[in-house]
Amino acid sequence: MSEYKLKKSASLTSKLAAPVGWKRFRRRHADAITATIILGPMILWWVVMYGIPFSFSFFLGFFEWIGINDHPKFVGLHNFVLFFQDESYVSDLLRSIWMGGLIMLLAMIAGLGAALLMNLPLFGKGIYRTMWYVPVVTSTVATTQVLIILLNPINGAINQAIEALGFEPILWQTSVFWGVVQICIYSMWKGVGTQALLWLAGLQSVDPVLYEAAEIDGAGRVAKFIHVTIPGVKPIATFIVITGLISAVQIYEQVAFLTNGGPYGQTEVLVYRIIADGFFNFNLGMAGASSVILASIVFIASISYYRLSRDKD
Amino acid sequence: MLIAIKKQLKPQYLIAHVILLGGGLILVYPLVFMFMASLFTKNEYNTSAIGLLPIAKHPTLSNLKLLFFSSVDKQTSYLYVNSIYRTLYATFFAVLTSLLGGYAFARLRFKGNGVLFMALLATQMIPGVIGLLPTYLELYRFPFAGGNHIFTGGKGLFDTWWVYILLNGGSIYILGVFLVKQALESVPRELDEAAKVDGASTIRLIFQILMPLQKPVLAYIAIKVSIDTWNDWAVPFFYTNNSKLQTLASGLSKLTAFAGAPGSTANYPRMISISLLLTVPSVLLFFIFQKLIVQGLANSGVKG
Repeated sequence: MSEYKLKKSASLTSKLAAPVGWKRFRRRHADAITATIILGPMILWWVVMYGIPFSFSFFLGFFEWIGINDHPKFVGLHNFVLFFQDESYVSDLLRSIWMGGLIMLLAMIAGLGAALLMNLPLFGKGIYRTMWYVPVVTSTVATTQVLIILLNPINGAINQAIEALGFEPILWQTSVFWGVVQICIYSMWKGVGTQALLWLAGLQSVDPVLYEAAEIDGAGRVAKFIHVTIPGVKPIATFIVITGLISAVQIYEQVAFLTNGGPYGQTEVLVYRIIADGFFNFNLGMAGASSVILASIVFIASISYYRLSRDKD
Repeated sequence: MLIAIKKQLKPQYLIAHVILLGGGLILVYPLVFMFMASLFTKNEYNTSAIGLLPIAKHPTLSNLKLLFFSSVDKQTSYLYVNSIYRTLYATFFAVLTSLLGGYAFARLRFKGNGVLFMALLATQMIPGVIGLLPTYLELYRFPFAGGNHIFTGGKGLFDTWWVYILLNGGSIYILGVFLVKQALESVPRELDEAAKVDGASTIRLIFQILMPLQKPVLAYIAIKVSIDTWNDWAVPFFYTNNSKLQTLASGLSKLTAFAGAPGSTANYPRMISISLLLTVPSVLLFFIFQKLIVQGLANSGVKG
């Protein structure tokens, strides 16, 4: 505050020295001018390449637009009504939610478990951390390829191993159940490292003094976990759940490369459908409507979770 | 020392070791498989059973060599070069905009500073896929480009270098701005004022005084963006068609799209070799800079 006053008085005295016009403007608004020069071009660029398309997708849902060279026709809420009438859209949406939720939950639990172990004073902690995080930086296109080869029905290694153990080989590509399992396993493999490191950061941010205090009060291991660890990791838990949620309902790459939505669209998720509608089925309006619905679900879910975790404090 | 080792042999620690090592080996396994399978020749791969740990009888690097030097596969080296250029370009701009934007939001007093920053952060909550189709429409219908009149006529910027120039260019990198702003707030303002008194311009202040202090954060941003851009297949896949414009990831995704069909004569060792080419650089980057990555990830979580 005092700094502000000082600045003001400085500008007053400089006014007496009478710099007028542009010079005075420049002196008075020095920060604002610098900010405009720095942020202006970046934000303009952002608006053109991201702001406009994202806002446009909200209008897209109100049009019937068959193929990019067609002229869009305004149809009001027709696409949104169709979304909820057409069983395939609703089931895609539900699949996104339960499959994404399941993957997020599994990865979160596995990540928390790994983080609790990595937080112990073990030898070679750094090596474990590296091993667990490596999948995160690999390319989805490349690593799904390995899984596809391993699961090859004819000469895939996993089916050979199953046969060697005396069981029936599994037809991974033609079963819905195994399709979902494939997707879940791959997503776990790819996502558990991030979760583990985030939880680890949360665990390490808990003040060790609190543990000592709890020990003096006679708390056991379980009591310490409940009363010190859980409240301590709460801020990062909010972050993990919100970002996990946002990315969970958006699972797409795994589905596209592993099962391609098959068999018969039974592993299709909503994002897969949006992209299929937009780029291959020439149904741009439906893609827009589905996007709006997806965005609102993510928005409502993350806002309500944020509120909930805040209110409890 | 002996006591320390004994402590590690306590049953609970032993179990922790077993779980972490076992899990870690499973997580690393696909990469090992990828490397082993790339050593096969096409003939051996097609005639022998590929086990869980494939060991080639005549290990060969010919797949990798062919990708770069045979006339049929010359495209791969092209893809590699495209990937490198695109990654460098995106990384440069992400670091630049993060530094400048972070400085502006942390240090400059102007109306709407806080509101603007929060608005930018809020956009991070919107699922990215929503922009995929409208961006395509925008590129395709870009006014006065690629044979377009105002909005129609040609293909706009679709399938041109402009796709990369615009999408990976100087748009504000919001996560980076957030991290730099956080880090700058722990640097005392007196430093800025002292520099200003000594006659340093704003540009000198940012690049010569503040930038060296922000090295870890900027390095994290650079690594994150370069790994993300390197692995990204969607932008080239959806916004370009020309084989000269593809990157390694999108090239591989186009190649694999047809390989899964039963009875396809796909050359798996070749595909695996491309996968390896795609995986090795990002994994190497991670190995070299893992401390920074772990720290940066923790920062974006704990402080966010």
